[in-house]
Amino acid sequence: MNKDYLVMGIGNPLLQDDRAGVEVVEALEADGNFPGELEVAYTVGFEVLDKTLGRKKAVIVDACLLGREPGTILKLTVDDIMGSSSLSNSHAVTLGATLKTGYELFPEEMPEELSIILIEAENVSEFSRTCSPKVQKAVGETISMIRDMAASWVA
Amino acid sequence: MKKVEINPITRLEGHGKIAIFLDDDGNVDDAFFQTVEFRGYEKFLQGMPIEEVPRTVSTVCGVCRAVHFMASMKASDGVYGVTPPSAGRKLRELFFNSHYVEDHAVILYALGFPDFVVGPEASPAVRNVVGLIQAVGAEVGKAVLKKRSCAVKIFEVLGGKPNHPVAALPGGWSKTLTEEEREQINGWSKELVELGKLTLQVFDDVVLKNPKYMDLVTGDMYRVEVGYMGSVDENDRITYYDGTQKIIDSDGKLVGTFKGKEYLDFISERVQPWSYLKFPYQKKLGGWQGIKDGPGTNLYCVGPLARFNVASGMDTPLAQEHFERFHATFGARPVHQVLGYHWARAIELLNAAEKCVALSEDPEITSPDAWTKPTSCPGEGVGIIEAPRGTLIHHYVTNDKGIVENANLIVATTHNNGPINLAIKKAAKHFIKNGDVSEGMLNYVEMAFRPYDLCLACATHAVNGGQAMEVNIYGSDGELRRTLKNF
Repeated sequence: MNKDYLVMGIGNPLLQDDRAGVEVVEALEADGNFPGELEVAYTVGFEVLDKTLGRKKAVIVDACLLGREPGTILKLTVDDIMGSSSLSNSHAVTLGATLKTGYELFPEEMPEELSIILIEAENVSEFSRTCSPKVQKAVGETISMIRDMAASWVA
Repeated sequence: MKKVEINPITRLEGHGKIAIFLDDDGNVDDAFFQTVEFRGYEKFLQGMPIEEVPRTVSTVCGVCRAVHFMASMKASDGVYGVTPPSAGRKLRELFFNSHYVEDHAVILYALGFPDFVVGPEASPAVRNVVGLIQAVGAEVGKAVLKKRSCAVKIFEVLGGKPNHPVAALPGGWSKTLTEEEREQINGWSKELVELGKLTLQVFDDVVLKNPKYMDLVTGDMYRVEVGYMGSVDENDRITYYDGTQKIIDSDGKLVGTFKGKEYLDFISERVQPWSYLKFPYQKKLGGWQGIKDGPGTNLYCVGPLARFNVASGMDTPLAQEHFERFHATFGARPVHQVLGYHWARAIELLNAAEKCVALSEDPEITSPDAWTKPTSCPGEGVGIIEAPRGTLIHHYVTNDKGIVENANLIVATTHNNGPINLAIKKAAKHFIKNGDVSEGMLNYVEMAFRPYDLCLACATHAVNGGQAMEVNIYGSDGELRRTLKNF
């Protein structure tokens, strides 16, 4: 396992589509030969920064509700989510704030390549350990995408 | 009547919103805070073995994952009728105090301090943790984050798994410490004490030495006169992991003390048709009296300020000095000024860090005797802890196999529901006059509820930021005149 590479899934593992990022990580773990570290976080916050520092390449997978068709996959860069709209909250530190803080304070320790993959959720309030069908399909596509990315990292 | 509505636009964070109603003169007539707090965890837990409950409820909130874990673990002690051995209790306390430091640090630096360091009327684009870092300098920011990460390291060593603790056992704690780990934790704990000192220095420099901010902190616009509840130890000092619940009225008179299931004798919950969130009140002071503060109210608060109001002091030397300064500054007790929460939170951070040092220097902390094996299953347990944001109660009834039949969870934001409504109304009344809603109004209203550190169904989260709000201002003709946003 190479600590230079990280895939982190974010979400509540008990809520149907919110668990999409968790499901991606669980599937990669089940492969048993992923060439990097795999982590799960229940929510965004500084713990994401803790796990991201010191990596060369990282992928963060999360569910989102942005009004798109359920199962839509968005691949974003850090710049895409570091706008001012990402920085305010009343209880948690947002992903945008976390990553922007990292690049402001520890630029030399943050990944040179950081991808954020968002999967549009359909239902994030039902208790379930299985995503809805459209999101499940997107989870499968995301897993393939990350396997390809990982293959290029170690090529 | 005009209506000003502050709406969250991020669905993943739940259904919280603030509605402010203006009278015909454009002054505030009333204000309400509505939210969905729980996602049916109480129902979901039914049928689950109690041993699995702590790990399951740690997903209730990704931010405060340790607190539900801890409260349900204490309740599971009751379900099996076991008491942890001394070393097991100390391991739990060390774990919990490290979480306190981490949680209080994030709340202060990311959510509380930006209002003061960057300024209450600054644009949300800069009034955040990034703006704070730019204001105080990168070196301070680096020091805070590096020291805070020591709390996370302690949390992970003791929790048994990165990010998500798994070490809970009914009757104890499964992760014991080697001498090498103890030494490591002791070193990290000392870094946390330095973080506590630094945090109080920042608060001193930025807030206490600024007359304008002290007017906000000690003034009436954020003053909510209610009762208070928190845990105290045998010497009437603030405690977090375990103690006796002490509850006072708005004048500071003792209403009573209780442990465990006795909470049912002191707390009732009122359902209001316009909110999913219940309104707890002190039943010893009579029936439901509505959402009102002042003498005679039976609403009450929990959290750092509440703990400072019910207790006589703190159990570590540095924090005790600051506790005394806090009360000397405000004078009268109880302290009803809501912004006092931030100061109390900073002092508690130092207190929890000092406790980590003391616990990690206790020779018993490396004892392998950390678990009392259950031999029966009485089938009912109540776990009460002081979460960073206030009293958390988990109450379970199980069958004789330890399978959950009923669960009741009362969290800090629920206890504080009535006072949060009052705080918002007070701030809105102060800052909205004659229909003139300034650009900074939204943040002054946010400043009224931010000290309570609301936990709005945060088991889920939003990549584009939670609690974004929109204020819509309508004229008396019903036309939308203006929109203010913090996103």
